[in-house]
Amino acid sequence: MTARLAIGFAWLAALAAVLFLAVPLLTVVAASVSPTPVFDLPLEGASLRWYARIGRLDGFWPALSLSLQIALLSTAIALVIGTLAAIAIVRGRLPGAETLATALVSPLMMPGLVLGIALLQYFRAVGFTATWSALLLAHLVVTLPYVARTMIAGLALFDFTLVEAARTLGCTYAGAILRVMVPALAPSFLTAGLFSFLASFDNYPVSIFLTDVRTKTLPIKMLQYIEEAPDPTLAALSTLILAATVILLVASDRLIGLHRMAGTSE
Amino acid sequence: MTAPDAPPHVAVRRVSKRYGPLTVLDRVDLTVDRGELVTLLGPSGCGKTTLLRLVAGLATPEEGTIAIAGRDVTRVPPHRRNVGVVFQSYALFPHLTVAGNVAFGLSVRGRRRDEIDRAVARTLSLVRLEHLGARRVSALSGGQQQRVALARALAVEPEVLLFDEALSALDRNLREEMQVELRRLLREIGATAIFVTHDQDEALTMSDRIAVMNGGRIEQLADPKTLYERPATLFTLGFVGQSTRLRGTVAAAGDGMVAVDTPVGRVAAMGQFLAGSSVVVATRPEHLRVVADTVGHEGSDRARNSVDGRIRAVIFQGSRSRIEVAAGDQVLLAEAPGRIASALNPGDAARLVWPVAETFAYPDPEARA
Ligand SMILES: Nc1ncnc2c1ncn2[C@@H]1O[C@H](COP(=O)(O)OP(=O)(O)OP(=O)(O)O)[C@@H](O)[C@H]1O
Ligand SMILES: [Mg+2]
Repeated sequence: MTARLAIGFAWLAALAAVLFLAVPLLTVVAASVSPTPVFDLPLEGASLRWYARIGRLDGFWPALSLSLQIALLSTAIALVIGTLAAIAIVRGRLPGAETLATALVSPLMMPGLVLGIALLQYFRAVGFTATWSALLLAHLVVTLPYVARTMIAGLALFDFTLVEAARTLGCTYAGAILRVMVPALAPSFLTAGLFSFLASFDNYPVSIFLTDVRTKTLPIKMLQYIEEAPDPTLAALSTLILAATVILLVASDRLIGLHRMAGTSE
Repeated sequence: MTAPDAPPHVAVRRVSKRYGPLTVLDRVDLTVDRGELVTLLGPSGCGKTTLLRLVAGLATPEEGTIAIAGRDVTRVPPHRRNVGVVFQSYALFPHLTVAGNVAFGLSVRGRRRDEIDRAVARTLSLVRLEHLGARRVSALSGGQQQRVALARALAVEPEVLLFDEALSALDRNLREEMQVELRRLLREIGATAIFVTHDQDEALTMSDRIAVMNGGRIEQLADPKTLYERPATLFTLGFVGQSTRLRGTVAAAGDGMVAVDTPVGRVAAMGQFLAGSSVVVATRPEHLRVVADTVGHEGSDRARNSVDGRIRAVIFQGSRSRIEVAAGDQVLLAEAPGRIASALNPGDAARLVWPVAETFAYPDPEARA
C-alpha cells in the first residue's frame, strides 16, 4: 500500500517536473504565433508574420553565420583532438591518466563567466586580438570537454581486440581503425558532436567577453534584440531553433537511440 | 596424411618474447604440419596467448624466427600473413551483420561482390548458420557467435587457424558439443590449426599433438596418448590427468630401471638415475589395483609394486570411484570401477598393486633446489 502510494507520488513528481520544463518552451511557441506585438493569453487567432520578420532583423544573417561557423568548426576540431586525447587516456597506460582526464573535462564544471573572463585576460596578455579566432579558441575550450568526456566513456567500452581481429583479416593498422573502430564508435562520435555543437551554438557567458561590435554570435545578438524591441519575432526565432534542435535529436535518435545519448540506459 | 619429408606448415624456431624484465617466452620451438591441430596447453600466464599472437603477427619476438608455409614471416605484419584468428571474446564487429562479419576479410582483400556472396554462403553453411546471415551479431547466442567468429576466420581461407580459448566462454554441454563438431570440421577442410586452452580434457579431445607449456617453455610436445601415458616431466604428469606420487631415494639402478626407497617401502620404477638420487616416483591412479585382502601373496616382484595401507575415503564419481589409501604418512590415489569400489569401505585394510612398467621416476624438483 505504502509502496504504491510512493510510486504514485513519484509519478506525480515526474509529471510535474516534465511540465515545469516544457511549459516555458510551449509558451515561446505560443508567443511566436501571436497576432499582436504584445503577447497575451488567451491567444486570439494565430499569425506567422513574426517568422517573416526574422530575416529582416538587423545583423541577423551575419550573426547566424558566425555562430554556425564557430559551432561547426570548434566541434570538428574538438572531435579530432578530444578523440586522440581519449585514446591516450584510455589506452596509453599513462601515469596520471585519471588526473589528465579530470583536467580535460574540468571546464564543464567551471562557470562560463569565469572561463570568459579568464580567456579575455589571457588573450589580452598574449596580445591576441583577432576576434573570430579568439571566439573559435574559446569555444574549443567549451566543446572539448564534452567530446573528451563522451569519447573516454565510449572508448573505455570499446574492445580493442576488434582492431586486432580486423588486422588479422587483412586490414592495415590505419585501415582497421577506419573500418572497425570508427563505425563502432559512431554513436559516441554523434553524441559528442551533437552536444558539442549545441554547447557552442547557444553559448553566451564565454562569448560575451570576446565579441566586438561587428562580430557578434547569435545568442548575444538575440539578447540585444530583446532589449531594443521586445516583440514576438524573437519568440519565432527561438521556436525555429527549438524545432531545429528537436529535428537534430530525433534524427540522432533514429540513428543511435536517444536514451544512449542521455545516458539513461545501458 | 602428410608426406614424411614435407616441411612443417608452421615453424616456430627458438622464439623468445620479453615484456620489460619479464621473459614471457623462452626459446620456444614448435612445428605444426599441414592439416594438423596442435594444442598449447598450460596454466594461466605460461605464455600461450603470447605465442599465438606472435604467430598471428600481433606481436614480434625479440629472438628467433617464425615461418608459415615455408615463408619467413617474423617481421611481416598481421594483414599480410593470411592467418585466421578466433578470439576468446570472438571480437565480432558489432556494426556489421553476421554476413557482413564473414565477408569482412574478403571485402578488405577487394574481392568481387558475387564472389564474396558465394564464399559467405558457403562458409555460413559450413558452420550451419546459413539462415542467420542478415542478423545483427548482438542478437545471437554465445554458441552462434562462436560459429560466426569461426566462419569469419575460415572465409579468407587462411594458411593457419589460431584459436585462443575459443570455446571457454561456452557452457559445459555446448562446449563439449562444439569440441567434437569443430574437430570434425577442421579435419574435413584439412585446416592447419593451433589451439590454445587451459582445459586438459579439451586438449585431449581435440588435438593431434599437445604442447604442454610451463613458464614460457614447452615442457613436452607429443600426441595425447603419449602425453598421458608417458609424461616426460613431473609438470606434464601433474597437469594432464591425475597421479599418485611418492618421494624417495634411488637405492639401486640399472637396465633403465630404478629401485626407490620411499616412506611406504621399496618401489620399482622406469628411469635412469644414479644410486642416491632424490626422485619422485609416480603412476596414474587407474593402474593401481585395490586388493581388499592383505593376507594373500600378491607381494612385490619384478613386474609389480605393492603397498599395504588403509582405505581413507571412497569418492563416488559416476562410472568410477576415487579411492584414497593411507600408507604410513602418505596418501595414494587409486581408481576403480563402481562395482569394485562399492565393496570397499573407509577404514578397511587394503593393498595396492600396480605394474612397474607404468611407474616412472622423475628428478625431485625440490631436492635439486
Ligand atoms: N602486453 C603485455 N605487456 C606486459 N606483459 C604482458 C603482456 N602480454 C602478456 N604479458 C605477460 O606475459 C605473461 C604470459 O601472458 P599470456 O597472456 O601469454 O598467458 P596465457 O598463457 O595466455 O595465460 P591465460 O591462460 O591466463 O590466458 C603473463 O605474465 C602476462 O602478464
Ligand atoms: Mg591467454
